[in-house]
Amino acid sequence: MDFPENLRYTKTHEWITVGGTKAKVGVTEYAQKEISDVVFVELPKQGQAVQQAKMAAVVESVKAAFDIYAPVSGKITDANKALESNPALINQSPYTEGWIFELELSNPAEMNTLMTAAQYHEVVQQAPKH
Amino acid sequence: MTLVTEPMKLPLHEEHLQKGARMGDFGGWLVPLFYTSIMEEHAAVRTHAGLFDISHMGEFLFEGPEALNYLEKNLPRCITPVKWGQAIYMPLVNDQGGMVDDIIVYRMADQKFLIIVNAGNIKKDFAWFKARVTQGMTLTDLSDELGLLALQGPLSQTILLECFGAFYKNLRRFHYKDFEGGIIARTGYTGEDGYEIMVPKHKLKQIWDVLFRVGAKHGLLPVGFGARDTLRLEAAMPLYGHELNDEITPLEADLGWAIDLTKEEFPGSAVLKKQKKTGILKKRVGLEMIERGIPRQGFEIQKDGKTIGAVTSGSFIPTTGKNIGMAYVTATEAKTGNVIDVIVRGKSVKAVLVSLPFYRRKG
Repeated sequence: MDFPENLRYTKTHEWITVGGTKAKVGVTEYAQKEISDVVFVELPKQGQAVQQAKMAAVVESVKAAFDIYAPVSGKITDANKALESNPALINQSPYTEGWIFELELSNPAEMNTLMTAAQYHEVVQQAPKH
Repeated sequence: MTLVTEPMKLPLHEEHLQKGARMGDFGGWLVPLFYTSIMEEHAAVRTHAGLFDISHMGEFLFEGPEALNYLEKNLPRCITPVKWGQAIYMPLVNDQGGMVDDIIVYRMADQKFLIIVNAGNIKKDFAWFKARVTQGMTLTDLSDELGLLALQGPLSQTILLECFGAFYKNLRRFHYKDFEGGIIARTGYTGEDGYEIMVPKHKLKQIWDVLFRVGAKHGLLPVGFGARDTLRLEAAMPLYGHELNDEITPLEADLGWAIDLTKEEFPGSAVLKKQKKTGILKKRVGLEMIERGIPRQGFEIQKDGKTIGAVTSGSFIPTTGKNIGMAYVTATEAKTGNVIDVIVRGKSVKAVLVSLPFYRRKG
């Protein structure tokens, strides 16, 4: 499974990439496989404040809904509207076209609490196998 | 102390893993949720054929000179007119008029009947039947001995005849024929044509293999419990624990056709006869989302800000792309075309009540 080196990860399977004061967020390759076919995405609203480790979006498969947590606190600056008509982008390219939202960091120090690709890889290896 | 109970494995557990199944829990059983994807498997059953392992289901045998009398006394439909080789669907009703389960009764001989029950209800149903056993009959739980496969889809007849011969041609719906120490019945839970094949557990693998060997060229796919649920939902077939439970009556569930109120007496008959006269207060309905959102079990339904009911099942439907659900709403609001609100994570999302089923096969 692919976990790009330039991203940071949460134990709840979100990724984040920071550019300046803004950051893009999505779910990992592992998460999209676990969720299976994504058929619905509920995006956060622009301007909405989100807190680290609190729900910011919802991704649904045929069978179930999955909460997507904000990896860090901040204010939503953009959301990937393309997911509303084509939620399968999350399955097809979780790290690029399948990004979910963008936020402006309110506490950049929170980035230090996140995992590197290698650390996240460890977490995934220990997850129960199906 | 926590007691961890290991989920039970299906007899074909290894075959499911071999076909790449993602396994998950369903009522205490470890079952295939999907092999490739729910989307693909749902579509396969609607256009070609799918094979389901539903060996988790329970089977009870009723035998003896008093077996027929016993069933007539305890079941809500007339059993006497059911002939050998025939099966009949009905709810099992408790004394309060609620549903213990929904079952299929097969007549195997004059005084020999087999009843298929839901896996999650095996213990409860067995106790219910056992408490009513009389002299001159025996009740046996065969759930551990029998396996069950469902071959479903427009090409299921082609595949079945090619596998097992013309003997199974012209098998009518809700009829069965003997097969390998068990039966093949023309029944199912998908809204498509199809068969359910019940055999002793040790014969399952051989049948599973031959069906795939022949079925592959007809597009036969293994289908998991994910698509089983979307298929039955689209066909508006109720599922125990969702649309049916011990408190809901068959009349509320729109299963009036599956009980016989002209029958003199059966458990709950007095309550149901009265309810038939006075009318039901809530009713099972279908809904289709107008705005974005997927209805899920337990979501509240409102009309003009007032609670009128709740969703019992809901899903995105792969072949149509629609978000649909079944629900109970107050009888006064249960009108086709009624626009209502489903409360999805605290937000009102518009939906419309539609007539059931959502899907009806052609021909």
